[in-house]
Amino acid sequence: MQEQVREWLEQDSVDIFLGYKMVQGHPLPHCFTKENIDEIDDLIVGNARYSLEKMATKIAAAHPELKIGLLTRDCNQRALNVLYVWNQLKPDNIETISVNCCPSKLKEHGDCSYLEPEKAAPLKMMIGIDNNMDVKAAEEFGQEDRYKRWMYELQKCLKCYGCRDICPVCFCKECSLEHTDLIATGSVPPEVPIFHLVRAVHMGGRCIDCGLCEDACPVDIPLRLLYRKVNGIVSDVFDYKTGTSADQSPFNMLGEEVTLELKPI
Amino acid sequence: MDFKIIPSTCSYCGTGCGVLFQVMDGRLIDTLPMKTHPVNEGKLCIKGWNLHEHVISDKRLKSPMIRKDGELQESTWDEAIQTSADKFKSIINDHGPDSVGVLLSAKITNEENYVAQKFARAVIGTNNVDHCARL
Repeated sequence: MQEQVREWLEQDSVDIFLGYKMVQGHPLPHCFTKENIDEIDDLIVGNARYSLEKMATKIAAAHPELKIGLLTRDCNQRALNVLYVWNQLKPDNIETISVNCCPSKLKEHGDCSYLEPEKAAPLKMMIGIDNNMDVKAAEEFGQEDRYKRWMYELQKCLKCYGCRDICPVCFCKECSLEHTDLIATGSVPPEVPIFHLVRAVHMGGRCIDCGLCEDACPVDIPLRLLYRKVNGIVSDVFDYKTGTSADQSPFNMLGEEVTLELKPI
Repeated sequence: MDFKIIPSTCSYCGTGCGVLFQVMDGRLIDTLPMKTHPVNEGKLCIKGWNLHEHVISDKRLKSPMIRKDGELQESTWDEAIQTSADKFKSIINDHGPDSVGVLLSAKITNEENYVAQKFARAVIGTNNVDHCARL
């Protein structure tokens, strides 16, 4: 890995490389350059996962012609695909080195921070939603019970906007979550469930199920589960697989033609 | 092109969450929570998430201001400290040291808080010391 990056930088195949480096005992994202080529000896995969592609998006916005290399796990790669589709990054300007993903029972050799998810506490199991549930299990609660459980989860919200700020595929200049006509301001929790549902709807055709939002949520709202449900619908109705389909999302409204197409029944 | 990630500690309150500052071309552009930090474990509140905004804000004070003739005017640190010292001296002379109270902050370090209470007791001569975390 280090040799590959060194070669890329020396031959100018990439101008910068985003990877990880140990700083003060913490594996932190680091930008490697040709000027500081010796630093490559410190390049590590790191067991904490940051959205390097979001950094790349910010860098590319300021320096559109810069060639950026980055370390990618499966989730980073899916996010990159979405960013290409939405014209936030140019695939020609991006080089990637794939590394191991989340360790789990399925994948033993993982290096990612998304280890076995934390076990839900008894109160959460009793009146809330366990973050480790799958969509099917979460739908098995009766309608009233399910509503109460979701409302319990959503009303914990501190409105920190962490889910949006950390999201690798959130790049809009204006965010509906800050639009005062859509969501009232001045109180915590924010308007529930509308605050979370607005975000959930916007995640349709965008969310790549990396789980960073849930990682960043200070109150453990099962956001990943909510967005999985939304993207399940996108997949069922439009036959669009977010993060792997190379076409434009069915929700893209730019251009003159309507591209929204239903899946043949 | 210059892009750096700088680890730091959030300055908003006494909790001490670990943050990462993203600096592009010498300008602070974004804040991230530090995933491996033992205090916040990759989470932040809204104030922490927006640390970069108060650093680059146009409204940020860059020099001390002194009110002269009813208007706030820019001044130097020497003048500001001298003016405060003179005013404190005259208040203490006229009304006694207990006319002064010192309110400490969660935004400064434990050591700075210690120095500030020492200043209240040993220099001003009052036990009127309190801390914002106790309000």
